[in-house]
Amino acid sequence: MSKKYRMIHDENLCIGCQACSVACRSENNISDDVFRLQVRMETKGTFPDLKMNFRRQSCVMCEDAPCVTVCPTGSSFQTLDGIVHVDENTCVSCKYCVVACPYDARYMDPIIKAIDKCDFCSENRLAKGQLPACVSICPTDALVFGDMNDKDSEVYVKSNTHYTLFPKAHLGTKPKLAFVPNKKGVNYE
Amino acid sequence: MSKEVSRRDFLKISSGTAAVIGTSCSIPGTLGALGNKAIQGSDKFIRSYCEMCSSRCQIEGRVVDGKNVFIQGNKYVKSMGGSVCARGASGHSQLYDPQRIVSPLIRTGKRGEGKWREASWEEALDLVANKLGKIKEEFGAKSVLFSAKTGEHHGHMLTFANAFGSPNIFSHTSSCPVSYKIAFPHTTGSGMKRDFSKSKYILNFGHNLFEGISVSSTKKLAKTAASEKSKLVVLDPRFSIVASKADEWHPVKPGTDLAFVLSLIHVWLRDEKYDKKFVAESTIGIEELKASVSDATPEWQEKITGIKASVAENVADELYKAAPKCIIDWGHKTTTGFGEYQRTRAIIIANALMGNIEREGGIFFAKKAKTVNKLAGMNIAPDITNPDKHIKGSKTPRIDGAGEVGENIFVSRKHGVLMDIPEAVLAKKPYAIKGLFMIRHNPLITVADTEKMRKAMHEMDFIVSSDVYMSESAEMADVILPEATYLERDEGISNKSSKAPAYMIRNKIVEPINGTKWSGEIFRTLAKKLGIDSEYKWTTVNEFRTAQAKGNFELLKTLSVKGYASFGIPPVLAREPKYVQAFVDKYPGAADKVNAEGVFGLSKLKTPSGKIELFSQKVEDAFPGHGVPSTKHSTEVAHPGYPYILTSGKTAIHTNGHTQNVPYLNMLMSDNPLWVNPVTAKKEGIKHGDLIYLENETAKEKATVFVTEAIRPDTLFAYMGFGRTSSKLERTAGVGTSLSKLLPLVKGPVCSTMITNVGVKIVKV
Amino acid sequence: MNNMWGSTAQYEVINWPWPIAVYLFLAGLSAGSIMVALLVKWNRHEGEVSTIWDAMVKAGALLAPITIVIGLLLLIIDLGKPLSFYWLLISYNFTSVMTLGVLALFIYTPIVMIFMLLIFEDTFRKIKLFSILVPVIEFIKSFHNFAKVIEYSLFGIALIVGAYTGFLLSAVSSFPMWNTPVLPLLFLTSGISAGVAGNILVGMLFFKSSVNKESIKYLLVMDLRVIMTEIPMILILFVGMMYTGGDSLLAAKDALTTGVWAKVFWFGVIGTGLVLPLIIAFTALKNHAYRVSYIMINSFVVLCGVVMLRFYIVYAGQLFTGV
Repeated sequence: MSKKYRMIHDENLCIGCQACSVACRSENNISDDVFRLQVRMETKGTFPDLKMNFRRQSCVMCEDAPCVTVCPTGSSFQTLDGIVHVDENTCVSCKYCVVACPYDARYMDPIIKAIDKCDFCSENRLAKGQLPACVSICPTDALVFGDMNDKDSEVYVKSNTHYTLFPKAHLGTKPKLAFVPNKKGVNYE
Repeated sequence: MSKEVSRRDFLKISSGTAAVIGTSCSIPGTLGALGNKAIQGSDKFIRSYCEMCSSRCQIEGRVVDGKNVFIQGNKYVKSMGGSVCARGASGHSQLYDPQRIVSPLIRTGKRGEGKWREASWEEALDLVANKLGKIKEEFGAKSVLFSAKTGEHHGHMLTFANAFGSPNIFSHTSSCPVSYKIAFPHTTGSGMKRDFSKSKYILNFGHNLFEGISVSSTKKLAKTAASEKSKLVVLDPRFSIVASKADEWHPVKPGTDLAFVLSLIHVWLRDEKYDKKFVAESTIGIEELKASVSDATPEWQEKITGIKASVAENVADELYKAAPKCIIDWGHKTTTGFGEYQRTRAIIIANALMGNIEREGGIFFAKKAKTVNKLAGMNIAPDITNPDKHIKGSKTPRIDGAGEVGENIFVSRKHGVLMDIPEAVLAKKPYAIKGLFMIRHNPLITVADTEKMRKAMHEMDFIVSSDVYMSESAEMADVILPEATYLERDEGISNKSSKAPAYMIRNKIVEPINGTKWSGEIFRTLAKKLGIDSEYKWTTVNEFRTAQAKGNFELLKTLSVKGYASFGIPPVLAREPKYVQAFVDKYPGAADKVNAEGVFGLSKLKTPSGKIELFSQKVEDAFPGHGVPSTKHSTEVAHPGYPYILTSGKTAIHTNGHTQNVPYLNMLMSDNPLWVNPVTAKKEGIKHGDLIYLENETAKEKATVFVTEAIRPDTLFAYMGFGRTSSKLERTAGVGTSLSKLLPLVKGPVCSTMITNVGVKIVKV
Repeated sequence: MNNMWGSTAQYEVINWPWPIAVYLFLAGLSAGSIMVALLVKWNRHEGEVSTIWDAMVKAGALLAPITIVIGLLLLIIDLGKPLSFYWLLISYNFTSVMTLGVLALFIYTPIVMIFMLLIFEDTFRKIKLFSILVPVIEFIKSFHNFAKVIEYSLFGIALIVGAYTGFLLSAVSSFPMWNTPVLPLLFLTSGISAGVAGNILVGMLFFKSSVNKESIKYLLVMDLRVIMTEIPMILILFVGMMYTGGDSLLAAKDALTTGVWAKVFWFGVIGTGLVLPLIIAFTALKNHAYRVSYIMINSFVVLCGVVMLRFYIVYAGQLFTGV
């Protein structure tokens, strides 16, 4: 059975420390000053009724990926396990995918000039049965990753015990990244 | 795809090198000047511990093709869970930074001018030994001052200074943890730890574990905070990350925690809602405490802290209901206002009143090998020792009078009071200081009144700095001895005992680049050159480790493979029945130590009375009126009377003054804009992004405005460690605000803490 | 300056900058220009075999190929990896509007060049430099039976090229201003308007002798009608965004009121490109008065308006996303 990957970012555990961003940079040799992954923090409200949200900013590995739809050369493609890749050779860097991505997940690598983005560490970690670097490094275990087909997996259990949402779900992209929304602070939603 | 990765690697390295040759090549002694050929290493996972901050979490480094490419938590340490923070993960970014100093440098121009020539280690160490020897001859060993941030290198420096004969040994303690380092011995005899994972109610006074990260504690606190079953209440003038995870955040006025704690104690004593049995059995001074908090009502504290009286009543009530599974958290950096010492003591006292000492979910003493061996009645854990402890220090009075009768009586002679240095040096009182040896210390960024310290440095005949970057303090040196980074050095064993004994060791993950040296080797070699090493019992790091481990090769083997050693001993909480039971089950020899209540109970503490001292006669004798925290103790800030209080705090991306130039971290955070509340911004007529000045009697310093709701209107905040002036820190020089510049050289009472909350006014450009 | 921390630099980049805006203009102009030329050829030209073509036809035959070639060159230069551009020609993804555009241009560009060769046959024969093209022209003329089919196909493919530039943007769901079916219509009509203006300008400047006043009047009326449809389309674009609500509403508000782009919209797109031509039409050129200078000014401002519309949509669409 093919994989049904899901990553859950728990905004209650996430502290925005960017360890995930640095681990990703380390593991995937990201060029300077560009990021596959960051956590964006936003403080909302008026003093002293405040709330701080922690949003994971990275590719959400859509099932219905706009970046795959718009790529003119097919360099942005999806494998059977649902991971969206970029073939650096056929990428002409027209940036249609960068513009089309609703999650601001893609960017042009300043050195090889092709488009780059998070790929759940598919070659260097998933292929070896390991977790993506960000998931394994998180100091508060805010990230959970696995195969939803495995009913014993941590990610399956967490999906069923926690209230999870999908980012920009209304666009119909069917992302594989879900998040547990922030419960702390003053309620604004 | 791997072909592309290596091509990308190659391109990245070559373009990186090209940039390096263009810029850093002109800086003598840097890694950039050497290029990639300097890097060699081994090819496996090696376990060690981090030094990107002083949490010193246990890590393992993956080495591929001779380069350290990935750092994660040591998998043999369960509490790490394989994690590290952003700084820990950036260790190799620092290791391979072309701007790092990797060759000894000797000054050629004027002091601070920035002109250097490279030298061999032999030449540099000979020069240092020579100069120090001359100063000793002419002015006495006492006229050389030694300073280091705490850590193993501080220990090596201490041994050397002892052998050398100088009493003037300093650490960063007076600028950071001094209040609790001294308040604990005065109250409970020794330092204590917090059992976050099992606690049901945590009252946190700005202990920002989510920005000042210690992975094992941060992980536990995060899960406790996120759990429905426990409550986190945070008092912090700004909406920090720990504040954002709280169930209740109260924006307390900076430095006024003491008033809030006193009101809690007042409520508990008023309503007799505290662990009376524990207080009667294990503490002294309850009567003095009752008297001192008699007017510390919730209404009284509201006027000082700005927190509603009802909140104080509520928190006191909830804490009592949750006791003993509650923690009142004293924090780590405890040098903010004048009330710091009393505030920390009051917090420890509050814990005692809740009876959470040695209870699950409360606070506890570290269980070192000696303790558990005694409990079990046999040797179940190996002990380590200090191989240098026989090398005694000089009894000559220090320039700051630490440990001697006077205002610094309680300050340790190993740590001293940094704030007293500039005045003493400039006035040559009680005697002249001619030499300064700094290692892993940058007082020109981290200590108050940086300009006065700079003036004092100009008075010195000889300055040595051992650092990994050209810091501001290194710029002022005559000789720079580049220390190997923590990834490049074998070091000794450290005690990491928590609820059971444990040890960790530093193993080098890659070979030192260009022959940079471990601090132990630097000092040992200098001692040899000066002919003062007769008392040293070791020469190499392995001899040092063997001496520490008292020849226990099993322990050494475990440590060299796993980086960490624990001994399968059940966690010990002396007043928690099920823990005691588990221990006795495994070690029947402990059965006779269990008392009628089924617990070990509190043994005799290291205080004068052997009990927890709510009132300390010792402190009262030295500083009348300070024997017990009370409403008359000031919670003022430095330079009172200005419209705003400037505070600082920890960020998850940088460590104090250490990491601003590290590439990975600089990419994530390159500036420290000033947090200003919108109400304040409107009042001052300033907007987001404006350049302004902060001014008080001590200095005038630039800042960039960052308008945010996350700070009190009467308070300003900026992360510390920026505002660098060393031009060789190319990524960060000239950016941001130096907060220490604005701090005057004042000290808190009793333990002489640095004061980092300071009054300022805003001046428009 | 950081927001606490984290770098926003890569999220604030304008990924499709001015070369894209210029390309969209040139593609629209090319398509519009050739469509206008063909319309004049079919409706205004007397006789099937005369080789003295109307200035409007000549203008189209000159403008269309040149602008499309410049546009394509701009596109290639704007690529992050320009030397890999050939992959666009050999590797296709039929779900991508860009691939469909590449294919359309693959057909359009050679045909429009053939059109140029045929219309300027006499010129090419006369100049020695182009002597190698003569056999090519002969070869093409051998297909003269298919001339009408080819011309109708050229019109059709030009329509596709004119519209596809709008579909390229409307396929992007992340930008509220682009994600609307009004955009292809707007770009097509705007392209035709540009084609009219461009042909008139080029024709009056370079082919004065072949200018036919009736053709000019015919085109000016066409342009007026096109402008009258552009105005409601722009209205529908923004009203639609407002009624969509949420991000769309915020984006519309910002785009119409914030900073330099709002000024470009109101003074450039609306003022210069739509209102000013209307004013000229109803005053200086009232009752189809034939005044050369005013006609040229009119064409010039129309072209400016079209350029500014492309720039506005491209930049404001990327800048104002309502978040």
